[in-house]
Amino acid sequence: MSGTAVVRIEALHKSFGPLKVLKGIDLEIGQGEVVGIIGPSGSGKSTLLRTVNRLEEPTSGRIFVHGEEITRPDTDIDKVRGKVGMVFQSFNLFPHMSVVENVAVALRKIRKLPREQADAIARRRLDEVGLLAKAEARPAGLSGGQQQRVAIARALAMEPELMLFDEATSALDPELVKGVLTIMSGLAKGGMTMMVVTHEMGFAREVCDRVVFMDAGQVVEQGPPAQIFGSPSSPRLRDFLAQVL
Amino acid sequence: MDSVLQTFFDVHLMASVFPDLIRIGLVNTLTLAGGATAIGLVVGMALALAALSRRVWLRWPARVYVDIFRGLPIILTIFLLGQGLPLAGVHPFGTNSYPYGIVALGLVTGSYISEIFRSGIQAVAPGQLEAARALGMPYLTAMRLVVVPQGVRNVLPALTNQFIGTIKDSSLVYLLGFAEGQRELYRIGQDVAQRTGNMSSLVAAGLMYLVITVPLTHLVNLLDRRLKNGRPKTAAPQAGDGPGPDARPTPMEVTSA
Repeated sequence: MSGTAVVRIEALHKSFGPLKVLKGIDLEIGQGEVVGIIGPSGSGKSTLLRTVNRLEEPTSGRIFVHGEEITRPDTDIDKVRGKVGMVFQSFNLFPHMSVVENVAVALRKIRKLPREQADAIARRRLDEVGLLAKAEARPAGLSGGQQQRVAIARALAMEPELMLFDEATSALDPELVKGVLTIMSGLAKGGMTMMVVTHEMGFAREVCDRVVFMDAGQVVEQGPPAQIFGSPSSPRLRDFLAQVL
Repeated sequence: MDSVLQTFFDVHLMASVFPDLIRIGLVNTLTLAGGATAIGLVVGMALALAALSRRVWLRWPARVYVDIFRGLPIILTIFLLGQGLPLAGVHPFGTNSYPYGIVALGLVTGSYISEIFRSGIQAVAPGQLEAARALGMPYLTAMRLVVVPQGVRNVLPALTNQFIGTIKDSSLVYLLGFAEGQRELYRIGQDVAQRTGNMSSLVAAGLMYLVITVPLTHLVNLLDRRLKNGRPKTAAPQAGDGPGPDARPTPMEVTSA
């Protein structure tokens, strides 16, 4: 990792009431790096991801995005979020807006771009995910895979410096997973910095630069995919891989 | 039998009241109910957002307001505010009691509407607010652009029901004492009934109410069916994410007393 860390996480703890979900996470993500986060459900992967744009408030610890500490109380978190795209398991498209409006709304209302300009950018993004033809459709008229591709286009429209994927393919029918993964791979190859919480071991192995294995709120092991999948050193990772592969 | 017909359905008497019912009564009933509903929508949305706020100092007053106004008989509130505000020196409308009646009815309606809005907003999937916030929208922007429009759509039937209730409640406002030309449907029917000792004018007034409320009731049912069937789903089936957005009940129970 070079000195230009996009994300730096220091001694991060997160509790929900008495439940300790994250127990001291230290992690650094470099420019253009694609980091896969794997682990059993309940291991804290999604919570970790959600603290990076503070959808979850950390209980303690510090998080830096591009050198700026975003966990300070005086951080303008909305500004940070404008540079950090997020894709959710359940897509969360806005059902009362058309597809193109979904992608353009933040450009218009946050970036304050005029409608024509925002729409033009939105259509370009939709074209990149192969859904320009659906621009005027409502999200409900799309398949799950198409909805997720729109959600990716919506996040990309803000030209984020970092993309967070929270089990982006877990809610999809098997035949729709590939289309979404292909787009994610394309992004990775294009140099996007990505944190990817995933159950897709194939994606973690082939696309990610580094794989982080979490269990019980801690990073147990991390390294290049070849090492994580080829020669796991901890028993917990070996158990986990035995179950999912 | 003839006397029953004569007492309730004297066609000539009814025909003679209808012009006043339509020209004066209907106009005033709709003005009172419409004005009160307009106030109620604004007050209700403000209260609903306050009630859903994370800040205690916003939540608490909203809850107290709703508890008080929903818990009092509407007639008491109308007198209390309608007579009380001018007496207390708050008289932006002079001595004319008509606008005070609208304000009183509107403030009560606002407490009911706030509960309708609140349930509608709460029924919007939490992922909607999260997705909007994750794009960088401030809380209020996300509420305004993403959450509230969906929440309001959820409760259009309940809001229409509330409007029906307000139309009926508007018959109480007259007790503040209105001038001739300010009388609403009920009062016009009752005045003639008192003068003639015949109920037909009240029956005529009742018919006028039904002409408004029955179509609205059917509109409620239509909206309700649309929401349940024709409306696009909020999100595609979510694997193991708990009940989908379609599982939520339509908050129809919340209606005026």
